[in-house]
Amino acid sequence: MRFKFSFLIVLLISVLHVFAQQTKTVTGKVTDAKTGEALPGVTIKAGNSNILTQTTADGNFSINIPSATPTLIFSFVGYADAEVAVTGTAMDVKLTTSEKSLNEVVVVGYGQAVKRDITGSISKITTKDVRDFPAPSFESAIQNKAPGVVVESGSGKLGQGIKIRIRGTSSISANSQPLYVVDGLPVTSTTLSDPTNDPTDPLVDINPNDIESVEILKDASASAIYGARAANGVVLITTKKGHNNQKTVFELDANTGISNPARLRHFLNAQQYVDFYNQAVKSDAEYDIANDLSGFNSLNQAINYYNKKIYAVYGLTLDQLANGTDWKNNKVNTNWQSLLYNHDAPSNQINLSATGGDDKTRFFVSGFYNTQDAIVINNKFYRYGGRLNLEHNPTEKLSIGINISVDRSQLNRVTTDNAFSTPGQLVAQPPITPLYDPETGELNSNTLYPNGLFDAKYNSDKQVTNRTIGNVYANYTLLPSLAFRSEFGADILNLYQEAFQGKQTTDGAGIGKANTIISQATTYNTNNYFTYTPNLGEKNKLSAVVGMSYLQNDSKQSLTNAEQTPSDKIKNLSGTTSITFATSTDDRYNFLSYFLRANYAFNDKYLFSASIRDDGSSRFGPNNRYGLFPSVSGGWILSDENFLKNSKFVNFLKIRASWGLTGNAEIGNFSYFNLYNVSNYPDLPGYIPSQLPNPDLKWEKTAQTDAGIDFGFLNSRITGEFDVYYKKTSDLLLNINVPSTTGYTILTKNLGNMNNKGFEAGITSTNIDSKNFKWTTTFNAAYNKNKVLNIGGQIIEGGFGLTQRAVEGEPIGEFYGQKFLGVDPQTGDAQYLGEDGKPTTDYDAAARVVLGNSNPTWTGGLTNTFSYKGFDLSFFFSFVTGNKIYNAAGIYQSTGFWNGFDNETTDMLNSWKKPGDITNIPRIGFWSGSGYQNSSRFLYNGDYIRLKTASIGYTLPNALIKKMHFTSVRVYVSGYNLITITKYPGDPEVNTETIANIGGGQDFYTIPQARTFTFGLNVRF
Amino acid sequence: MKYIKYLLGALVFTAVFSCNKKLDVLPQNNVTSIQNGDDVKALLFGGYSLMQSASAFGEQYIFISDLLASDNQLDFVGTFTDYKDISFKQQTKESGIATTIWENSYLLIENMNIVLDKISLVDESEQKEVAAEAKFMRGVAYYELINYFAKPYSAGNTSSTDGVPLVLQPTYNYDSTKNKPSRASVEDVYNQIISDLTDAAKDLPGFADNARATSYSAEAFLARVYLNKGDYTNAATAANDVIQSGNYNLTSTFNQAFNNPSNSTEDIFGIQNTAQSNAGTTDNGIVTFYRYAYDADGNNQGGRGDAQVDQNYFNAFDDPNDFRANFFTQGYSISGNPGIYTLKWLTFYRVVPVVRLAEMYLTRGEANLRKGGAPIGGVTPEEDINTVRERAGASDLSDVTGSDFVDERFRELGFEGDRLWTLKRLKLDVGDYAFDAPELVLPIPQREIDVNSNLTQNEGY
Repeated sequence: MRFKFSFLIVLLISVLHVFAQQTKTVTGKVTDAKTGEALPGVTIKAGNSNILTQTTADGNFSINIPSATPTLIFSFVGYADAEVAVTGTAMDVKLTTSEKSLNEVVVVGYGQAVKRDITGSISKITTKDVRDFPAPSFESAIQNKAPGVVVESGSGKLGQGIKIRIRGTSSISANSQPLYVVDGLPVTSTTLSDPTNDPTDPLVDINPNDIESVEILKDASASAIYGARAANGVVLITTKKGHNNQKTVFELDANTGISNPARLRHFLNAQQYVDFYNQAVKSDAEYDIANDLSGFNSLNQAINYYNKKIYAVYGLTLDQLANGTDWKNNKVNTNWQSLLYNHDAPSNQINLSATGGDDKTRFFVSGFYNTQDAIVINNKFYRYGGRLNLEHNPTEKLSIGINISVDRSQLNRVTTDNAFSTPGQLVAQPPITPLYDPETGELNSNTLYPNGLFDAKYNSDKQVTNRTIGNVYANYTLLPSLAFRSEFGADILNLYQEAFQGKQTTDGAGIGKANTIISQATTYNTNNYFTYTPNLGEKNKLSAVVGMSYLQNDSKQSLTNAEQTPSDKIKNLSGTTSITFATSTDDRYNFLSYFLRANYAFNDKYLFSASIRDDGSSRFGPNNRYGLFPSVSGGWILSDENFLKNSKFVNFLKIRASWGLTGNAEIGNFSYFNLYNVSNYPDLPGYIPSQLPNPDLKWEKTAQTDAGIDFGFLNSRITGEFDVYYKKTSDLLLNINVPSTTGYTILTKNLGNMNNKGFEAGITSTNIDSKNFKWTTTFNAAYNKNKVLNIGGQIIEGGFGLTQRAVEGEPIGEFYGQKFLGVDPQTGDAQYLGEDGKPTTDYDAAARVVLGNSNPTWTGGLTNTFSYKGFDLSFFFSFVTGNKIYNAAGIYQSTGFWNGFDNETTDMLNSWKKPGDITNIPRIGFWSGSGYQNSSRFLYNGDYIRLKTASIGYTLPNALIKKMHFTSVRVYVSGYNLITITKYPGDPEVNTETIANIGGGQDFYTIPQARTFTFGLNVRF
Repeated sequence: MKYIKYLLGALVFTAVFSCNKKLDVLPQNNVTSIQNGDDVKALLFGGYSLMQSASAFGEQYIFISDLLASDNQLDFVGTFTDYKDISFKQQTKESGIATTIWENSYLLIENMNIVLDKISLVDESEQKEVAAEAKFMRGVAYYELINYFAKPYSAGNTSSTDGVPLVLQPTYNYDSTKNKPSRASVEDVYNQIISDLTDAAKDLPGFADNARATSYSAEAFLARVYLNKGDYTNAATAANDVIQSGNYNLTSTFNQAFNNPSNSTEDIFGIQNTAQSNAGTTDNGIVTFYRYAYDADGNNQGGRGDAQVDQNYFNAFDDPNDFRANFFTQGYSISGNPGIYTLKWLTFYRVVPVVRLAEMYLTRGEANLRKGGAPIGGVTPEEDINTVRERAGASDLSDVTGSDFVDERFRELGFEGDRLWTLKRLKLDVGDYAFDAPELVLPIPQREIDVNSNLTQNEGY
């Protein structure tokens, strides 16, 4: 038992008796901040209690509350909630439709706060940003909408893991994804899918249209209350709730869309391919003659020789590649690239919800169904489910409630980018190869590489997830100033994956294979805490939270691989006859945590906040079971000081600063134990040692300092915030290499540190706000610089084609390799930077140097929204800069046949041909080609600006819809990824390494992002 | 004051969850300590899995030596650069293959060191045999390490030439000052191997279930070790012990010695494989490389087919009726290269013969020939070589010489990982390379030198 927090609670209780309970009546009027019109039917709630009232038809209200009540909360459909301090007995309140209001309520860990009083850095994203987005999970929709939150969906495949880095990567070997908390419950966000394929994203089971707001806790002041799990930032997801005394609003949201690839590479057609082949042979022959290698008398003799040599070595001729068709006359011109895409891939979404409440009960119910085909063949996503959020007040002091969602999703997947069977690799097939076998008329199996269309036709990989996320809670107001809340939640995720590889396919290996994965992840969590908000008079405002939390996660998985199928008719294990591998695993981890937070404001101008969390976890070694994570912060509202109070320009100005410690506990469940694996030699089951013990193992620790300014100018026409931060992560979890003569290769230790520093800005400006026309601009930008400070002198490598590294003194993810310096115009040789700093044509003699980084330095977005009468129009541009992208497939598709007969990219047509040619493409040839190895030749500037979203909507006039008994009707058309400006020859948003820490920006036949058009309808009634 | 009761209630509720013991969660998929005799025996059996690994007899112990040997045996036509490098003798000090052979071998040694350290937990009646089996595996691991990572014994100066580190105690906790051994001399390593294998031969039973090591498995390896040393008397004696045990018989036809679901009558030691337990079928495992990807008719056959037989290999045969010269088929590699494939490694999930009786005949015959004098076992070198030839349908040889044995080993044991060591021990050129060329010795893995400054790198890296 840990007594220190219990002691604090007792202390708190004894303080309570100082304040006796009296009541008073507060009256006032609620108006629209912009128009000044009175707002009838606004719900007013007294602080923590369930004492309620509503405004009358003229916007007036009167409420009888305990005099200790610190605040009143005003809520009204279509307006941002406002929480206003009770300072006397009369108050007039203005509500605004903008979420940027200073009285806006922001969800924080174990509570909520008013934006004005917050001393930490929190980005809030509201429902309108995440709804209707044509991607399964909400993270895609928040890309570049919150400064400092870098979202990368690494391909156009659906359901893939999405990389999120909040203020940079703060770990090398531990998971760097943020903690996701849905309505107070931390949820499973790491993949449970097939470990041989890319990670999937379990957050697809949260319906984006159910989300009311997403708060991203960025600095330590905001996130340290989540202690050992907060170092990567915390994403709080709050689902929609009903309001008291609200007419039930039904909302139907339906849209349909089509998708196509946003950007494609260009490959040779049949004629170009044949010409390029001949040119490559000629290049070999010319090189031979120029260098007097074989003593040929004529060019033709040399060409004949090399044509024969190709057959001798590769065993292939163009005749064979063309399967006997007349390639000389372009009989066949197969566009293999187009075969890997779905054309006009359809998507459909329907959401129906109802929101309402009376004076004791509030509810939100929704049901949804959506189907989406990826732009790549065989990749689909289906989902349906529902949600019920219900809250009821049996008494004025007690409220009880439940938030629950159930959902079933199905994801049909394709293999990882690095597989012959993946559709993306079809582009390697020569265009002279027919799609159908000219003799049999069947799909052509006699192709250069295994024909992935067989896999597409005969293989299947379906994963079905059934998921329930829910919590029940009770809130009891012990005193006007003291409430106790108890929550119990569970996240139950069941995943069933069934994959089949037919006999005809590469992966089926001629025998047929099937495998299944059954995963079950159950998280249960309870939070129990007191919220204390005494009324300390006009000048002092205090609120405190103290409580505990316990979380336990049990993950079980069973995997079975089998083979030998009589036919392809049965696509599960029952069709196989030999089990090759089966296992089941069982993992548990838990966290027992105590937390305390206090916010104090003096005179509404000087703000202080401190929090501390004590986290114990089964993941930490016995010598370091508990970790303490404190934070302190302060703010000063300058605009309330006399020298600014009367400023016409500045209506709000706050400076704030914070410091705190957070941890990363994603270090593996059993990393500190001495472990032996079970081995399976036939008839002799045994053990093999697998892990050295380290009883000192603990969380990674991040200390973060943040300073920021929040401002509102010209009566909040211009609002925004700036932040600078410095994050230093120490005790990095590292696998330290040990001599393998010990039998082990690594020891997992806390060692080393790295930092991230950066700058963030977000500005919203209402440029024009006239009666009929409104124009607002929202801009955000963030800069982050990472540096690995100390990792014990190790070099930790990652990446895909071109090595990426974590090395001391450089940012994580730095590309490292040979630097391409262009083509020698005389010889056509690729030139590299030599060890001596001079160009060399010898690849092996080239120096390996730092070539750039896959992580952007600047990211941001710009949204312009216009509305004119019923029309609304918005454009959202997103940009990243400072990053590099490596085309890891370049060594196969852009080497002038050096690596075989793969089809080539069209830029290769500009290759060097004769002395004096100035070009960036080296000499081609099966034997004499140059520049075919991994080097910066295939590394590109990854900057891009993308018109992510453009949408136009029309809201039907009230007069018209009133007759139809609708509250509002809006129709809209949206386009996504419509314009892309980049120097990268493919799609710049690709990363075959999905969520890796070191590897990134690697394109290996990766599927580009989708360009999508949707047409939708939103009806309220 | 009436609120106190609610507060206390809430407090109690809070306290219920505050139990520290919940944080003690034990792994459910791994063992965390070695507590009794059964655990020790499980560790011993774990050794067989490590020998089955692709980094040991499942592939690399056998395949890599053939890739390093002269290129008149096989051609590597695949795309894996680590293997390509080895076949061109261009492996670098970062070679992934050198690293995995090294790591897996030392893991096997660690496993056996724990067994030997915890032997007192085993029932007394079994202790001797368990220890002997552990020493067999440790001896084999050191034998493969010294072959791959040091100059051959035949190069001389064995007491001053670097061998490999000798680690004979388990590592329970890593100590960065203690656990950094330097390389022992070739002589010391050979002495340790001979000591381990001799102990194993003494205490192991003559028969064992489940294809476990026997005293003859140990003797067969001793025969290899002595032959490498040029200690022909001991080599012939060890081989003779195996032959005369009567436990093994040549299979009646050559093909019956391969692709068997369990040990053949001539397997003195073989690695068992099943559909559930094997060294791999897609990127690893000896069959993966030797089995064609497509047969001559283009049907998918599931191998990679990266290892093709070199045309020159057929020049080694002296008799057209030799069955061994026809034990091949046509096919294609996974990247479409047509070629010839040996049938020795045709089928997945079958026994990997590690030592066959045929080798013992050739070893006894050659050792008797080279030592001169009365042949050990009372059988002449001609009789031994012809025993092997007759089974393959090849005509008898007379007046055999040492080089007849070299050639016969190539014919009989081709693709089974013998060629390189035979050439090295006899100081014969390996293609264009001298027997002791640095290119024919794998590098000490760079990662190993990076973490252990006491290690020296091999020449040429």
